[in-house]
Amino acid sequence: MHVYVYDDYLNKSKYNRIINRVEIRLTDLGLNGKILRLAGIKNIKAAIQNEIRIGAKTIVAVGNNQTVNKIIGAIINDDIYGDFQKKTLLGIIPIGNDNSIATSFGIKNTEEACNILLARRVEKIDLGLAGKNYFLNEVSIQSQGATLEFDDYSIETMEKGEIKIINLLKDKDEDIKSNPHDGMLDIIIKTKKKDRTYFNSKKFKIVNPSEKLIVDGIVEIDTPAEIGVLKDRVNIIVGKDRLFE
Amino acid sequence: MFSKDNRQEKFKDAETIIGGSIKVKGNFQGQGNIIIEGFLEGSLKTASDIFIGDKAKVVANIESKGIIINGEVRGNVRAKGYLAIGETAKIYGDIQYGEISIDKGASINGQVIMLSEEHKRAEKTKEEPDNQS
Repeated sequence: MHVYVYDDYLNKSKYNRIINRVEIRLTDLGLNGKILRLAGIKNIKAAIQNEIRIGAKTIVAVGNNQTVNKIIGAIINDDIYGDFQKKTLLGIIPIGNDNSIATSFGIKNTEEACNILLARRVEKIDLGLAGKNYFLNEVSIQSQGATLEFDDYSIETMEKGEIKIINLLKDKDEDIKSNPHDGMLDIIIKTKKKDRTYFNSKKFKIVNPSEKLIVDGIVEIDTPAEIGVLKDRVNIIVGKDRLFE
Repeated sequence: MFSKDNRQEKFKDAETIIGGSIKVKGNFQGQGNIIIEGFLEGSLKTASDIFIGDKAKVVANIESKGIIINGEVRGNVRAKGYLAIGETAKIYGDIQYGEISIDKGASINGQVIMLSEEHKRAEKTKEEPDNQS
């Protein structure tokens, strides 16, 4: 059974047309299933967990990065995760802005997303962890005054710029090879002096008292924050044009 | 023989790059090639090669297979393979090397010691255990 999780912002009338198109396309492809509208649900976690428990084969996030992260947040730290990893795949139908996660998986638009669901090409992907928030793409923070603390050393930067901690590349033009299956996070620091720092790590703490850490471009959290990675944690349906091997 | 250009070519796929505005404090270790353009204090070690840029300042003991130094190093340097010291290099510490080249203008304040053939063989054996079986 497919379960389509519609994010609450899709209740706006401007999305009616595109939602109709998606539903027609899914029916044409024989992929129709149950719809779970987050707008009407108080306990999202329980609702998603229940669908997995009663046998959902695919949970599809219909929305943006935040929708994907809501679903992952609902399952990853609970008993239900074992069932999810064994029996359930995660799919994405991107609608609206903030869809870098879908782009990374080679899902460029809504129509293509339906075809990708049908093809069921599956990849196991690492999951980043920033404080209590999970991320698929990256977390970022302003570099000035930031310190990264590792087991044996620390890294400081006083220059203005940006620190990106990448699990899964969202931008083809970024000049690094990031691998979301290697159990490592890639750290890039680019400052306005145009110098570039690059290395990778599994686990560290980030501190910048005057700036927030931005998780997958949406959620802001305070530092200090522990950053880590969980290897091969999610089975995701991807397109053939994904941004990784 | 290796040319200087060839040696720098190896760093194109460096696993770690520490930029000019970065300060690293502590024991920094890696497996792949490391480029240091900023400041590092503590110790620096990798199983591959290290490149120290001309604006870099390293206050640390350094150990790796091959090392190219163009900046300032305060600490002992041990290169099991080649050690290339550029014209802008300033080294305050003892140096051990397998092979060495020193450009005109470089400054070294410390002992410069070549690793014995026996030592080099032992290092090579450690690096290529499969060839010994």
